[in-house]
Amino acid sequence: MNENKIMRIFKRILYDYIYIPLKILSKDKRALFGLIVLIIYILMSIIGPIFVPLNLEPNMEERYQPPSWKHPLGTDFAGRDIFAQIVNGGRDILIAAFLAGFVTIGLGTIIGLIAGYIGGKVDIIVTTLIDIFLTIPGFPLLMIIATWLLQSGITVNILMIAFLLSITSWAGLARSVRSQVLSIKQEPFIEVDKCLGLSKFHIIFKEILPNAMPYIAINFMLSSVSAVYSYTGLMALGLIPYTPGNWGAMIHMAQAYVGTITGAGCWYILAPSLVIIILQVSLVFLSNGIDKIFNPRLREW
Amino acid sequence: MPNPLLKTENVSKIFEVGSMFGAKKHIKAVENVSIEIGENEILALVGESGCGKSTLGKLMLALLRQDSGRILYYLNNGYKDIWSLKGEEFKEYRRNAQLIPQDPYTTINPMRNVLSALTPPLLHYKIAKDRKEARKMAAELLTMVGLVPPEDFFKRYSCRLSGGQLQRIAIARAISVKPKFIVADEAVSMLDASLRIEILDLLLNLKKKIKTAYLFITHDLAIARYFARDQRIAIMYLGNIVEIGKTEEIIQNPLHPYTKVLLMSVPIPDPKIARSRGLPKLKSLEIPSLVNPPPGCKFHTRCPYAEKICEEKVPELREVKGRLVACHLL
Amino acid sequence: MRWIVKRLLMALLTIYVVTTITFFLIRFMPGDFVEMMVYYYMTNYGMSEFEAREMVYGLYGVELKDPLWLQYIKYMITLLHGSWGESYITHQPVLKVLLYGLPWTVFLLSTSLTISFVIGIGIGILMAYRRGGVFDNVASVIASISRATPNFILGLLLLYFFAIYYPIFPARSSYDISIKPGFTIEFISSVLYHSFLPMMAYVLTSFGGWALAMRGSAIRVLGEDYIVAAEARGLKSSRISRTYVGRNALLPLFTSFAISLGYMFGGSVFIETYFAYNGIGQIIGLALSWRDYPLIQGGFLLITSAVVISNFIADLLYGLLDPRIRRGGMYE
Repeated sequence: MNENKIMRIFKRILYDYIYIPLKILSKDKRALFGLIVLIIYILMSIIGPIFVPLNLEPNMEERYQPPSWKHPLGTDFAGRDIFAQIVNGGRDILIAAFLAGFVTIGLGTIIGLIAGYIGGKVDIIVTTLIDIFLTIPGFPLLMIIATWLLQSGITVNILMIAFLLSITSWAGLARSVRSQVLSIKQEPFIEVDKCLGLSKFHIIFKEILPNAMPYIAINFMLSSVSAVYSYTGLMALGLIPYTPGNWGAMIHMAQAYVGTITGAGCWYILAPSLVIIILQVSLVFLSNGIDKIFNPRLREW
Repeated sequence: MPNPLLKTENVSKIFEVGSMFGAKKHIKAVENVSIEIGENEILALVGESGCGKSTLGKLMLALLRQDSGRILYYLNNGYKDIWSLKGEEFKEYRRNAQLIPQDPYTTINPMRNVLSALTPPLLHYKIAKDRKEARKMAAELLTMVGLVPPEDFFKRYSCRLSGGQLQRIAIARAISVKPKFIVADEAVSMLDASLRIEILDLLLNLKKKIKTAYLFITHDLAIARYFARDQRIAIMYLGNIVEIGKTEEIIQNPLHPYTKVLLMSVPIPDPKIARSRGLPKLKSLEIPSLVNPPPGCKFHTRCPYAEKICEEKVPELREVKGRLVACHLL
Repeated sequence: MRWIVKRLLMALLTIYVVTTITFFLIRFMPGDFVEMMVYYYMTNYGMSEFEAREMVYGLYGVELKDPLWLQYIKYMITLLHGSWGESYITHQPVLKVLLYGLPWTVFLLSTSLTISFVIGIGIGILMAYRRGGVFDNVASVIASISRATPNFILGLLLLYFFAIYYPIFPARSSYDISIKPGFTIEFISSVLYHSFLPMMAYVLTSFGGWALAMRGSAIRVLGEDYIVAAEARGLKSSRISRTYVGRNALLPLFTSFAISLGYMFGGSVFIETYFAYNGIGQIIGLALSWRDYPLIQGGFLLITSAVVISNFIADLLYGLLDPRIRRGGMYE
């Protein structure tokens, strides 16, 4: 491969995957808002900790201080700076959320594609499996598994948490991917593809999959939303080990101390709450706009 | 006909339809059909909706599997059942049997652009060495079907194209692998009337260049006559072929009662002639159900000339006056 | 008929699978579970090791020396006899403990679900009719925020602001303990008073989802030809929106409604813990923190069974409501 070719491929990637999606998104104000907020969050998590280091030393004299220059968001129940906790606390949550999102769509898509295209006995088994997973109430199951994990003393790393979070959400995507595959299979252009001799691999991944992509992309966002909910929720209940300063940990502490808050302690509750809500909202907005990127029919130009 | 390209022998196809609460029902879409199509010839297959003509087309393309009978393809000086072909032989058959579907809007993948609809088969069959050559060939194909300049169309998606343009792309796709046999399943039925003749002429011109055989499926007798003039036409009713022969002979002198009825149903613009022609004297206007077809000759419930034998025995295709007709009364 | 049987079998299969999963989850938990239990009993109750082991075996109704499959069968048999084990903490049968909290949770959930559903579809249909307008845009944003907000966070905020900071509502319990339960106005109003905040937490975080779903569904229906035909026939627009749009748009939401029942059971742990509301959620939460395994197992089983049953009923109703399914296939 000579340099010219590499340059051309690079330019194509830049154009197709970054420029065009941005152009599409910019027409939808809400999606743009979501994207910008998300980028801010990601930047904050990456470079924030360098500028605002986390200091977990308790300082009982300064508890529940209102916002000031020294502590832009006030202090918590142990006198620690809330702002620093917010800046540092997002990293784990964002990583877990996106990882869980990827695992969910990976699992869901592949299972849905296989069940839909192959059909027959495989389909029946998979559908039964999907139905069972869909009926099991996800959150209680997560709680139980989380408790077991904690009890067992296995060190939990972020990959495991991501897998855990996707156990309950892959089934929904698998079911809708499967039904999309089933309906697309009948379309005339697939028949023409078969006549033209295109391989099964090509048909599944290059013809059917693009038709399911809009839904998969949206599902990625929504799975991330659900992962954030589950992750912070599990931490808020104290069921999984957390690093202090994490938003979920803050909620947990806030809930534990809620009866004893004095002074301007409301900031301790508000800060992580707002930050989580805004993250979720931006993901939801983004999910609405992402539809247009993957579905050429919806574009206005 | 000496050495037809593709022939079907007593082919039947039954569909099962079941409801959630009830029992399963059977629909005999195609029953005991034997037809042949020769190289570079046109066979128009005419019939009303639901008579099984699309099903027959798909059976001949191996998109559906028949329940009984054989479909034979001429390969290496012999006939082989298409379902027994493997490897290179199957690839050869596959390449030579293509489809042009009815609905222009679903004939290419709405999520992919025109270029990506044309290039995969070229690369798959190694008609083009690489992407660059495939692109060039795609441009040639688009020019051949009348879409110029071709580069304008490469990046477009089906939502931005008109029915006529899409159907031309469908044709380009079908001929890209230079097949010997193309099934055009109601290929012009969803186009505006003004476009139809253009597309039909395009297909005829391409036939001269590439020498393909066409199975032209339609419900419109007038279109069939235009497309298949000097060729053959087959009339189908409720899963059976009732008459098959040279187009002009059948049109001028229909033998089977159903063919006569069909011809009389073609609207004539001049009211004087239309009125004088009169209406077909059908015994009943009710179209029999596909699930419970009438015994014997399936047309006997409506046929004005029906006699007792028509209710009992299924007529076979016999040679009458140089063509094949399935009727007891000839 | 075949279809009903099939769904019934699926429901039973799911419950069976869940029971099996919970069974094996305990047995295969890494680490010395049994040892831990024995140790627990030894230290907290001063038993000897022998006594402790007997206790643990007795509690689970199994002989751990038996091969696994035998344990499994014995467990299933005890389960089917209605004995769900005994909870550690209260030393009462698990089933009794759970059933104590069930009515509260059902009350809270069903009212919350109904209210948020009704509000949601009302807003949704309005949004569909006024599509593109100011109302639609504003309501969309609000609905999105509602949908995105985790219910436990809203619960915490509500708890803090309305129960502690400005003590308008009580912060604990499902009713005032000093009042005797009964069908008195006093009792009922106390119940309502105490359940207001938890209900708000639910309703405010779920109406958005319904609104957006209804909007999408109604927009799709409004675009259909039969609506245009109805308008052309001169039907009153209120009748059109009720009978034509309403019914057709609601149908797909119906299955979501049933599935939501399941999700709400899950989320109820948070709300009930925060508000000390005596429902199943709180019981399970406490059971988890106390590692009361029989109770956890029983609670999970109960929730799943409730979800499975409600899904099954929803499927049945859907099959009856949708005339297309009721009448069977359409081929003729």
